[in-house]
Amino acid sequence: MKRLLSSITDGKGFDILLVAFPLGYLFLMSGLPLLYNVLMSFQEVDMFSRGSFWRPFVGLKNYRDLFAMPETLPILYNTGIFVVASIAGQFLLGFGLALFFWTNFPGATWLRGLFLVSWVMPGLVVGAIWNWILSGDFGVLNFLLRETGIIDGNIFWRSDPDFSLWAVIIANIWLGMAFNMILLSVGLSAIPKDLYEAAELDGANAFQRFWTITLPMMRSTIGAIISLGLIFTLQQFDLFAAITSGGPNNSSNVTQYWAWDLSFRQYDFAKGATISVIMIIFVMFASVVYVRSTRHEVRG
Amino acid sequence: MSNTMHNRLMLIIALILAAVYLFPLYWMYITALKTGSAMFATPPQFWPSDPQWQIYGDVWRSRNMGRYMVNSLVIAFGAVSLICVLGVGCAYVLARYRNVWVDIGLFLILMLQVLPASLMITPIFVGFSQIGLLASPRFAVILAIAAKSMPFFVVLVRATFMSVPQELEEAALVDGNSRIGAFWHIVLPLARNGILVSAILIFMQAFGEFVYSKSIIQAVELQPASVGLNSFMGPNTNEWNNIMAYATMYVTPILAIFVLLQRRIVSGLTSGALK
Repeated sequence: MKRLLSSITDGKGFDILLVAFPLGYLFLMSGLPLLYNVLMSFQEVDMFSRGSFWRPFVGLKNYRDLFAMPETLPILYNTGIFVVASIAGQFLLGFGLALFFWTNFPGATWLRGLFLVSWVMPGLVVGAIWNWILSGDFGVLNFLLRETGIIDGNIFWRSDPDFSLWAVIIANIWLGMAFNMILLSVGLSAIPKDLYEAAELDGANAFQRFWTITLPMMRSTIGAIISLGLIFTLQQFDLFAAITSGGPNNSSNVTQYWAWDLSFRQYDFAKGATISVIMIIFVMFASVVYVRSTRHEVRG
Repeated sequence: MSNTMHNRLMLIIALILAAVYLFPLYWMYITALKTGSAMFATPPQFWPSDPQWQIYGDVWRSRNMGRYMVNSLVIAFGAVSLICVLGVGCAYVLARYRNVWVDIGLFLILMLQVLPASLMITPIFVGFSQIGLLASPRFAVILAIAAKSMPFFVVLVRATFMSVPQELEEAALVDGNSRIGAFWHIVLPLARNGILVSAILIFMQAFGEFVYSKSIIQAVELQPASVGLNSFMGPNTNEWNNIMAYATMYVTPILAIFVLLQRRIVSGLTSGALK
């Protein structure tokens, strides 16, 4: 007993104690729900059986039903578009800005940090602002596009099935662009400056320097940022709730909103759990890529 | 000479870029001050001719915002306290050792960090309702947010602990401190700033949290401001000046904290997020 006590105040026991509580908590609050989710996707969950743990097993029925639903494939397709377009927009604009601020004029660091304000704002507020900007008749974006002659008539961003998904994508690009830029700036500042000086002496022009030095040196950063982008895009829920609610007619619905909608609007918890399982496998895959691309730093 | 010219030109371009980027925020502040008819004017006014300052008080009272903000604060403070109590020690141990167990722990923590809240809420809700936690919904939300945000906090704070020289702790141990003493009196004070910045980041996230609160808290009196904003925005609303006034009051404290601590927040974020 005394040995145990002194180990806790003065030895390995102290470390183990410090780690055991948080990891136990995480297991209880994240690990168990994860397993429970998988279990529920094989069960029949309705209003009556929701309260008990012993629900009838239905095997793969939930999965079969899910893929038999007419909206499943369009929603998966929307998710793909949402992820690819958001990441492409965030990454390219973020990279452009990072390269611009990399020239390091006075005030660059402060102004660059200011961009991150989009990232600390509550998602619901960002959604509300863009909902108003993208409004059909009185939205300021339509006004600006009309004035510059890009469009002739108003685009009904939120209610036109051809544009509703893009309304959320625009807001999401605005939201995530700054985060991409900051992380890319960190990667850029880690490239040794003398590489560029040497290349310049050898007569490489700016484009060649970017193509043969910047991009190869940034490879692991870019890998990490794109997989982080995938993770964050698949977490995006607030913007859907605030701008389109997945409508009209599921044209802007994506899996992470649909899973919630099935569980909490239609009370079909089994189907909600089933989609969750499928999507979580995707996200886990992305995070393995992320961990792999930052592995050398984790190991030191 | 040409160098200062160049710098000035870059600064001007940067200011223009920042202005374009921050336009949505400006639009929120401006719309809130417009009258009902000015809001729907074509062309839109980019500067309100007749600013309606009393709108803030009106919206605050009519939407009962005080109650929403208190609930948001309760949830955010609860989640941050729980995360700090549990997460700081975990981050310290994960920073202090380098072996296969630490790698496994870090990997598990990173995996838990990526689970989307809107997907995890289904099992959390069903599980919580079965063990009766939904009777105290704000507490349930705090527990769920803590589990969601703790991994991120641990990753950030771990980077802070890595920058504390281990020799200082060893010296304290040689001087006869116990491990607890050395941790409490030497390591923790040195890492205080980093912990504080990470806690503020987590606080901002928890202050704006939506999915868990929306799904778990049914009683209006206990809902946070994000859920209040959501129920304010009906599908065919035209009260945009009121909604923007609500959003302004909700988001301005966060923006103020961010601008004040911007440098520290950005450096804390970049040191942790990629490591």
